[in-house]
Amino acid sequence: MSERIRNVATVIVIAVMAIALVLLTSTQPADVDRVEQIGLRIKCPVCQGESIANSPSPMAEDMMDLVSERVAAGVSDQGIIDELLGSYTGAVLLDPPASGSTLALWLAPMVALALGVGVILWWQRHPGSDTHDPAPPVERSRTRLLTGGVVLILAFAGIVVVASNSLQDRPAEAAGAAALEGQDLSEVSNETMEAVVAANADNPEVNGMRLALAERYFEVGDYRSAFPHYLLVAEDPEATAGEAVTALVRLGWMAYDGNGEVETATRLVDEALAIDPRSTVALYVRARLRWCGAGETDQAIETFEGLLTDPGLDPETAAGIEADLELARDGGECP
Amino acid sequence: MLAFLGSAGVLAALIGAVLLVLRGIRLTRGGDADLKSPANLVLAGALVAMGAMQIALLSDDFALAYVANHHSVTTPFPFDVATAWAALEGSIVLWGLVLAFFTWVTVRRQGGPSDRLGAAAVAVMGGVAIFFFGLMITVANPFEVCVDALTVGCAGSSPWPFAAIDAPADGPGPNPLLQNHLLMAVHPPVLYIGYVGLTVPFAYAIGALALGTPGPEWLRRSHRSTLVAWSFLTLGIAFGGWWAYEVLSWGGYWAWDPVENASLMPWLAATAFIHSGLVQQRRGMLQAWNFVLVISAFALTILGTFLTRSGTINSVHSFTQSAIGPALLGFLVLVLVGSFTLFAMRSHLVASSPRIESFVSREGTFLVNNLLLTVYAFVVLIGTTYPLLLEAFTGTQVGVGEPFFNRLAVPLSFMLLLTMGFGPVTPWRGAAPGLLWRRLRAPALIALALGLLVALTVTRVGWAILAIVLGVFVIAAIVALLLELAINRTAKSQRSVLEEARTVVANDQAFWAGQVSHIGVVLVAIGIAFAANLPLHAEVEMSQGDSVDFAGFTLTYDAPFRRNEPNRVVEGVRVDVHRGGRLVSTLEPRANFYAGVTGGIVTPAVMTRPGGDLYLTLRNLDAETVELGLDTSPMIWLLWLGGLTTATGGFWSLSARRRERVVEQERVLADV
Repeated sequence: MSERIRNVATVIVIAVMAIALVLLTSTQPADVDRVEQIGLRIKCPVCQGESIANSPSPMAEDMMDLVSERVAAGVSDQGIIDELLGSYTGAVLLDPPASGSTLALWLAPMVALALGVGVILWWQRHPGSDTHDPAPPVERSRTRLLTGGVVLILAFAGIVVVASNSLQDRPAEAAGAAALEGQDLSEVSNETMEAVVAANADNPEVNGMRLALAERYFEVGDYRSAFPHYLLVAEDPEATAGEAVTALVRLGWMAYDGNGEVETATRLVDEALAIDPRSTVALYVRARLRWCGAGETDQAIETFEGLLTDPGLDPETAAGIEADLELARDGGECP
Repeated sequence: MLAFLGSAGVLAALIGAVLLVLRGIRLTRGGDADLKSPANLVLAGALVAMGAMQIALLSDDFALAYVANHHSVTTPFPFDVATAWAALEGSIVLWGLVLAFFTWVTVRRQGGPSDRLGAAAVAVMGGVAIFFFGLMITVANPFEVCVDALTVGCAGSSPWPFAAIDAPADGPGPNPLLQNHLLMAVHPPVLYIGYVGLTVPFAYAIGALALGTPGPEWLRRSHRSTLVAWSFLTLGIAFGGWWAYEVLSWGGYWAWDPVENASLMPWLAATAFIHSGLVQQRRGMLQAWNFVLVISAFALTILGTFLTRSGTINSVHSFTQSAIGPALLGFLVLVLVGSFTLFAMRSHLVASSPRIESFVSREGTFLVNNLLLTVYAFVVLIGTTYPLLLEAFTGTQVGVGEPFFNRLAVPLSFMLLLTMGFGPVTPWRGAAPGLLWRRLRAPALIALALGLLVALTVTRVGWAILAIVLGVFVIAAIVALLLELAINRTAKSQRSVLEEARTVVANDQAFWAGQVSHIGVVLVAIGIAFAANLPLHAEVEMSQGDSVDFAGFTLTYDAPFRRNEPNRVVEGVRVDVHRGGRLVSTLEPRANFYAGVTGGIVTPAVMTRPGGDLYLTLRNLDAETVELGLDTSPMIWLLWLGGLTTATGGFWSLSARRRERVVEQERVLADV
């Protein structure tokens, strides 16, 4: 058999095998675990960049259970994802779409690849000299390079300045946490705080940190993790009045918002008001409970109006109360 | 006392580093200076610092704030030793020690007053050392003493060693996840050797640019350090994946987590650099590109440290609240701006590359490999930093996770595998017509045949089939090349093919060591493909005495157990694993409860077998029933074996004595 025929035969065999392989694998039923696939696309709200499929946290497990239920009920992927993103603050899609603010994310690698291919082709057409001797220094190119360097430095400096400015503007809102002995806790991770509060459980000074930790959980909607901490503070006879009030009010709100228990919620907030009858947050939640839970809209309006007369009210809370007041006056449903 | 000792060590190392910079610069200007004593001072200082930390940990000296906050009297050996790198300040001590060692070696290799390049490299190493030891006396001081003790742990500390000490009786201990597995004691030091080792080629490159001698000398002299760094980095990444699999109870080994990405990026850049460095040494091409790569690889190690140690990943907002973040970012900007400005100022001296004669050549495949690896690193970089940048500039929160990375990294990996099949069999300069066909047709046939066999016998194999076909293609091409070269030799000698194969390998050990690494990468690729496509999963609830059948095994819930260990309480269940009526193993999926930590740390029970692992995770345990997660990880050991093989190739090439000319002549003959 001549070399040529053998080559042709080999090519045919390779082609046939490749086609057979493609056909075989493409006809096999796709067996993907939809629950897992969806879980991988959602960031766990209380973790550091982990998806809910990979996180061991109770909140992620709850969310995965929800995904399983919805998948079993035949809800579409998008429907499940929308529900998760809507009901868990801090849950973020880990699979950014190739549009809007994440378009550049998808485009950049393509551009980089195209650029790389372009540079290689350009180099092929405009090669340097074959000798290894350095080219004689050309004054013009040197100036050009120096200019380039200066532009580079300025660009970097600009980025750093803008970045640090835009960062410094905002930490305050994230840092609104109470502190243990006046320490700044905003850079302390949840895990560290858990460890510290557990290790110092008998120390009344730790209530501040415990509360800060609970507030973090509360803000992202992780009531399950927040609950025991609030409870411990509320039950601690050595807790300061402010700490106890905050804990009781939060417990009340979680009882209403999480389980719909209006009575329990009202009782807890009343306990808080017994400690501090002028607590803005307790009065506010009490009014919300009257409005949303008991349907006593008029009394709620009265309390809202009373609260707004307080000159010490911070603008953000005031805006929230005003919005609620307007809605309540218009006879709207509580949000 | 230990605080003083440790601080004195750090200070000594810092002084040594300053002297290295000054004397290094003096040497490059034609002066004479002794580098050895400052290098000894740096190493001794770093050793004293690490020694003080270790003594403090082993003797439960809670006067040190670091010990008070990260150690506990109950922390068992060897985790008390490993606590030295369980948190930020301690890990910088380890970083400093490794850097001091690499600096010391660089100084040993410096060849006196006539060796200006060596002196310049030492000066750069000294500069980097100033930064890291500087961190230790400023924003990340590991030797602060506790001045405000809590019942457990420390609330306030002072950098002044003689401040009035208020030491607690005990500390909370290291992060429980870090005292759950032996690998955690090994993984960080190995990884750090990888990270820090990349400082050496960077130092030589910057030295060469500063002196205006950008020829291949710097590459030749940093070659071994680059290989050491790369091999350790490989090993470190493999250990990290293994640890995650054994400890983190989700059955995975890699999640494109920023911390993982931080180690992958320098690895990709260093891998590209090892290949492109060869092109410059052999063909004089890519001089400028090698500078770009080595600067990027070093900068990526700093970026990785910044991302993982500044708290930025937790939240962009924590950036300005910890001083280590701005310090590392500032250093990163300094490195990038300084290096590239220097590079721009010297670029007229960098010889431009000669024309590539043919893309069908070794250098051609290396170009493709460099393009792919660079884009790969860029994908990881942009995916990791995009959410941070977007939030910093616009306040918009987005997440970038596994789906994004997989969609881009998987095709890139396949292209890399294909290139890996072509590269080693393609000669330098250009291949004679028909050569590649002759060398690759048999591997292609074998790979496709094996792929068909797998596709016919294993169901649900999905895209794993592509990994198998390409992987077998790469390995078959390597084996075929070895056979071809050996058989060619037997024509002239009377020796057997095996003996000649041994000679072929001995003659070009570096090349064949590289092929060992390639085989390791193939094993990893196939392991990943199996792990992604073939695992089984189930969730079960069992009462005592119940059995379930899963993946060919019968699992019986024997009994719950509870053990008190010095540093933790272990709760779990015993599960008997039977196969064909025979007891194969008893597994103990469990949760470890540590003092001071709410909730248990769930630890999986893993049974390793050649076909794959059985992986049991405790979900819930009460008086009557237990809920378990059951998983299989088919052939997961391929990943660990692959990682070890890849690193082994790197270490082996270190001992290579190159007798390439002989081999090269033979290859040219074979081509004709």
